Amino acid sequence: MSDAAALALPPAAPPARPRVLLVGTALAAVATLMAFAGVIGLYLAERASVLSQGGTWLPEGTSIPLTPGGIAMATMLLSAVTMWWAVDAVGRNDRPAAYLALALTMMFGLAVINAISFLYTQMELPVASVPGVFIYTITGGFIATLVAAMAYAAVMTFRTLGGEYHGRDREGLVAAALFWYANIAVFAVIWYAIFVTK
Amino acid sequence: MAVTETPPETVETASAAAPSAPHPQPGGLAAVLGSGDHKVIGRLYIVAALLLGLPVLGLGLAFGVEGFEPETLDVFSSDVAYQLFTLLRVGTLFLLAFPLIIGVAMVVVPLQVGSRSIAFPRAAAASFWGWFLGSILLIASYAINGGPGGGSANGVNLWIAAMGLIVASVLLAAVCLATTVLALRTDGLSLERTPLFAWSVAIASIMWVFTLPVLGGMLVLMYVDHRHGGALALGGSAGIYPALAWIFRNPQIYVLAVPVLGFAADVFATASGSRQRMRGLVQGAIGVFGAVSFGAFLAIPSTDALDSLLVVVLGIAAVVPVLVVAGGALDAVRGSGSLKAGPGVAYAAAGILMLVVGTLAGAIGSIPGVLEVPEGSSASSNIFFLGITHAVVVAAVIAALGGITWWASKVGRGPAASSVGLVAPLLLLVGGIVMTVPDFVSGIVGDGVETQGDYAGGIAAANVVVAIGVAIVALGLLAAAVSLLPLLRRPDDEVPADPWGGQTLEWLAPSPPPVGNFEGELAVVASAEPLYDLREEK
Repeated sequence: MSDAAALALPPAAPPARPRVLLVGTALAAVATLMAFAGVIGLYLAERASVLSQGGTWLPEGTSIPLTPGGIAMATMLLSAVTMWWAVDAVGRNDRPAAYLALALTMMFGLAVINAISFLYTQMELPVASVPGVFIYTITGGFIATLVAAMAYAAVMTFRTLGGEYHGRDREGLVAAALFWYANIAVFAVIWYAIFVTK
Repeated sequence: MAVTETPPETVETASAAAPSAPHPQPGGLAAVLGSGDHKVIGRLYIVAALLLGLPVLGLGLAFGVEGFEPETLDVFSSDVAYQLFTLLRVGTLFLLAFPLIIGVAMVVVPLQVGSRSIAFPRAAAASFWGWFLGSILLIASYAINGGPGGGSANGVNLWIAAMGLIVASVLLAAVCLATTVLALRTDGLSLERTPLFAWSVAIASIMWVFTLPVLGGMLVLMYVDHRHGGALALGGSAGIYPALAWIFRNPQIYVLAVPVLGFAADVFATASGSRQRMRGLVQGAIGVFGAVSFGAFLAIPSTDALDSLLVVVLGIAAVVPVLVVAGGALDAVRGSGSLKAGPGVAYAAAGILMLVVGTLAGAIGSIPGVLEVPEGSSASSNIFFLGITHAVVVAAVIAALGGITWWASKVGRGPAASSVGLVAPLLLLVGGIVMTVPDFVSGIVGDGVETQGDYAGGIAAANVVVAIGVAIVALGLLAAAVSLLPLLRRPDDEVPADPWGGQTLEWLAPSPPPVGNFEGELAVVASAEPLYDLREEK
């Protein structure tokens, strides 16, 4: 009898430890946060350097109106509520509420993309400038991760409601929600560092 | 406490019905190209890293020769010297050291934690193919006059995109590996019982997740900048490399070497044939080493006193956990009074000694005032830091090759050749020391700008020694490659599952492990050395 066979026993009870998808998503969320932290840190350092030398940060003729950014921030905060609602509804096996919550979350995500796009048309910031490179990279990168978060949330909701997970096993949607909240945190920093303090 | 917690009469019944693979397994090329099996992916990483990374080391030898007489010798024309210099630096890290470590970890870590697969197997496969494609594109970018300092705008863009793909792929691999350790451990295998190599890979992966995205974000920024006229004051395409050079500096470079500690601790504990008495301390030291290797803050240029203090503190602190792990290894040997010497032990000793050299130098170099800062240069351009980078990378490569040798029957089809396998780590250690110490001397005595016009730097006479060291390292790599050739052919005799008298779960798996890794179900693990429990029970 091999050692493996000697150790062969009936399966033990499932371990009480974090789930695979949740852990993987948490790591991906950390990676996302660190990527933005690095670029925003460089943005702040560059801006501080320019201002400390008596220069102006934004090129002449460029302005970043506060309203679209503020609305986008408020929308992101609202989406936190609807995402929480989606997770809760799946937990209660309330399918209509879960679909409605997901639809609202998606709509809020699209509204944020729309607000940032509108901001692009308003601020008249050339990309071939130091602030332009930073701001378009940061906000464009955020739009990309937001789209990824929306796709992730949609897939996980449909998989959950489609039967792959059930009400008490909503790991997929909880993981998607975690990534969504990480995106909200990123946008909060962008909103303050770029749109508010400019 | 025994490893099994179920009455013996259940054993025979359970072992009679080993579960078969859930789906028919493809064969031939499809089994390699389309596989989500962590062992196949790990092997792909190892083979590709050796094929792509080792030629890059030839560049190191050429730069060493250039350094003999920088004034007169022109091994490279001035047009391409800078580009090849960056290829050497980036290639050594991302085409050789990272994928080698990831390859060994991909094969071994799921086995060590008693998992039947790696977490997110398709993502793990995607990480390999992404890394491989990125590496090919990186080399191609140099071929079309791209890369940092390149004359082709498209080539430079391609270099940045390829680097981004490589970094994203390494991150994907890191997420898979860390998740495997955090969430796929078998029952009873708590984190404090996790095998030390798997633990060190988890720590390293988490640190990669915390630091490499900063590099990724910078690459995106540089891509946008370069595509739109280069408004950032990088100094043209040549400025791309210096902006990214923080990843080669200590403490950041130490993130590569965290698995060196886990490998050495695992091997010495097994070879000494006893339970490790200082296990908790060693495990903590590996965690601390990971924490002090956080160097992402170096990405943002700063003259802030706090940042400078952080560099000093982390640089000096890094040597302590390495010494603790080395002490733990010695204690394991002393406690048992025996040591089954072999290539694995030689690699483990060489790896940790090389890392001691690197971190000790890092501690010395971090003390303010020890190194002269050449006029018009930053402190980190001192060639002393190049020596640290080389020491750490050599330590990582030694550990990776040692891992392939130690776990040869799991990585390949049979054991490695032991006689040549004993010579290889010795050559790598001696070569590594001969290669790095002259850079430390050059850095301290003050002739130490890392990148002069010829990208050689250092004292000319010392550079002769460096070139000799590189040649010895190349010999060591050749010896290692020869010793690993038996892994490719199927041996005549059956390969034992546990050739070393191992203590952790990977030695329960047949050699080579089948799809699904283990025959039958694993019992609840009751200690950090479940196979010792089993032997004691018998």
